[in-house]
Amino acid sequence: MNKIIALTKKELHGYFSSAIAYIILISMLSVFNIFFYMIISQNGEASLRDVFQAMEFMLVFFIPLLTMKVFSEEKSNGTMEFLLTAPLSYSMIVIGKYLSLLTFYSILIGMTTSYYLIIAYFGNPDPLSTFSGYLGIWLEGAFFIAIGLLVSSWTGNQIVAAMVSYIVLFFLYFANSFNQTVSGASEEFLLQLSTRTHLENFAVGIITPQDIVYYVMGTILCLILTRFSIDNRLWQ
Amino acid sequence: MLIADSICKNFASFQALDHVSFEIMKGDIVGFLGKNGAGKTTLMRILTSFLSASSGRVLIDGDDINKDSLAIRKKIGYLPETPPLYANMTVKHYLKFSAQIKDVAINRQRYQLDKVLEECQLQTVQQKIIGTLSKGYKQRVGIAQAIIHEPKLLILDEPSSGLDPIQIRHVLTLIKNQGEQRTVLLSTHTLSEIEQIAQRVLMIKSGRIVVDDSLHGLLTNTNTQPHQPRTLEQIFLSHHQEPGQQPHANKPATVEPLLAHE
Repeated sequence: MNKIIALTKKELHGYFSSAIAYIILISMLSVFNIFFYMIISQNGEASLRDVFQAMEFMLVFFIPLLTMKVFSEEKSNGTMEFLLTAPLSYSMIVIGKYLSLLTFYSILIGMTTSYYLIIAYFGNPDPLSTFSGYLGIWLEGAFFIAIGLLVSSWTGNQIVAAMVSYIVLFFLYFANSFNQTVSGASEEFLLQLSTRTHLENFAVGIITPQDIVYYVMGTILCLILTRFSIDNRLWQ
Repeated sequence: MLIADSICKNFASFQALDHVSFEIMKGDIVGFLGKNGAGKTTLMRILTSFLSASSGRVLIDGDDINKDSLAIRKKIGYLPETPPLYANMTVKHYLKFSAQIKDVAINRQRYQLDKVLEECQLQTVQQKIIGTLSKGYKQRVGIAQAIIHEPKLLILDEPSSGLDPIQIRHVLTLIKNQGEQRTVLLSTHTLSEIEQIAQRVLMIKSGRIVVDDSLHGLLTNTNTQPHQPRTLEQIFLSHHQEPGQQPHANKPATVEPLLAHE
């Protein structure tokens, strides 16, 4: 456990010792704030439901920027050799890196909790549906990060890692839009594959086991595949 | 200490290593020679478990690398050809991180950190950002991370590559001192370095070991040139001559010993 914490701290230090972390935090918060202001002033409701859905769309753009260099940079700098020849298991490397990204993401999402305080000042929002929405957006970010981590483990090129992550995330996000072109089991499959289907429930205050399983299992699957990718040096 | 038994490594249709076998005894400093592309780095990566062999077996201190890679990695210190450094970290922070992930006990981390800072003469730059250091200092930081967990076997891939003569002298002295405490396998293209610090020489050519002997035995072997002491350079060239090329057996060594005064 100490080694995982050491790796997580090293990663977080890496983000915050460069301008990238601050640029991402400030730009994402600015975009979230603009959407929050627009949606609340347009709807005139003390609810963050539509804000969560806007945040979900922004995550598709934001997460690949965060994850693209996680493994690709280690490979291009030669430090991957350092990690893989140290007495660290591959699972420790994957978990350490994943936790650092999740911490960074949690800080970002944590900063937006002020939205609830703002609408609570002007209205009477439902705290449970707000909690459910935040849980959904956090689970979705955790899933997207695991996808980005997996893609980053395939290549030594950050641009390639970002582009492939965009393709995967856009597909997952828009999967339910394709269901009109198919029917039967395929239609249901695409509907269930889409992240929008699952976040919609969280956003309106419905927490179902199916939605939680979707995010948790998706995240675990990606982390297992990342470990497999590292073990087999797939980028080589 | 280290037994390599018939190691082969294939990259698609290219055979990088062809049944490589050798043994290194505890406390040896072994110089590993070969042209670019001969298979040195590939072999070192297999010994450190960064790559897996296509076939063959590696035993380090009695442990099989295929069976317990994690235990073996605790016993090895490795400096790749490009020092694996995080440019945005300070020297101290990086070495502390190295100690943490290399299983140095928490109550010994401070001691080990101070020890390697002193051994590698890094005290004056310990608070500096690694990215701002000279190549010589970066190389020393690379060696410091390789020895911070007191490994039994130290594997160094061209540790003096690209350094100026003063920096090379520092690095060679450091490696020579390490040889008093642990087994060292060192690859280099500078033959005089091997002559100064190694006790044994391994030479690899096209993925095969062509020389495996003590340095003394190699230099005093008079079978081919009676009464004519040889240099490592002459031996190296004799193994790497193209057909039709003139032999260089009598060509004198041109590289001055860097540690002559030490």
